Amino acid sequence: MMRYEVLHTVKLCPSYLEVDGNRIAEAGGETSFLTDLYRRLGLDYPKFFKMDILSKVGFLASEFLLEQEGGERFVPRADRAVLLFNRYSSMHADQTFQETIAHPEDFYPKPSVFVYTLPNIVTGEIAIRNKYHGESNFILLPEYSEQAMNQAIERAFLAPGTTSLLTGWLEALSENEYEASCSLITVH
Amino acid sequence: MELTEELKTKMIEVLNLEEMTPADIADDAPLFGEEGLGLDSIDVLELIVLLDRNYGIKITDPKAGKEIFASVRTMADYVAANRTK
Repeated sequence: MMRYEVLHTVKLCPSYLEVDGNRIAEAGGETSFLTDLYRRLGLDYPKFFKMDILSKVGFLASEFLLEQEGGERFVPRADRAVLLFNRYSSMHADQTFQETIAHPEDFYPKPSVFVYTLPNIVTGEIAIRNKYHGESNFILLPEYSEQAMNQAIERAFLAPGTTSLLTGWLEALSENEYEASCSLITVH
Repeated sequence: MELTEELKTKMIEVLNLEEMTPADIADDAPLFGEEGLGLDSIDVLELIVLLDRNYGIKITDPKAGKEIFASVRTMADYVAANRTK
């Protein structure tokens, strides 16, 4: 079995954010917790507001994770891959889009929602923003399974040149029901 | 409400420009490119839906979009001349 080192971890759910096991923020404001966290990062990245919930949660988890890494960001690199997992795919965006086409008299498919009706959009968002040219993959599992995730991680590290992974479980069913449990890992 | 202000309000809503207010959008500012609002191709599709849904305007000529969506003022002029509701 391959051994790899966990460099940093992040856990984001509707009530709190933990980075490397430390409680960084707790929900409680009048505005959306996700929006609060975005503002806390001090980013100028208005695309965040256009994202679906899955991408927002994944984007924030990646930002807090990579903030811990330090060093220079946004330098093109092919040694890092993005590999995420969940059970319910892009279900929230799928349902939201379906609502825009549900009524024959009010049939206006919403393009900005449609573009998020795939789970691997979030892996692409992370890879493109950070200029990662390694594998970008979102795998659906029947249920949360560390064994299945570890097998996929090991396979990802078999790709020539891949020495680092931004990986983890990312599920988002609604603004009030989501979980990102992600980590930055490496093999030497 | 003036048509330009009405369009700005609707654009902020449908394009999720949450950090912006109508006052932040100049009538003649380009909607696309780094000099302006920086909208993308998906935003254009949303604007096409916006004109259809709110003003009964169906844009069938893709080439016309570049001129219509140059700025809020060009959009307003087009809407004023072509609206059916």
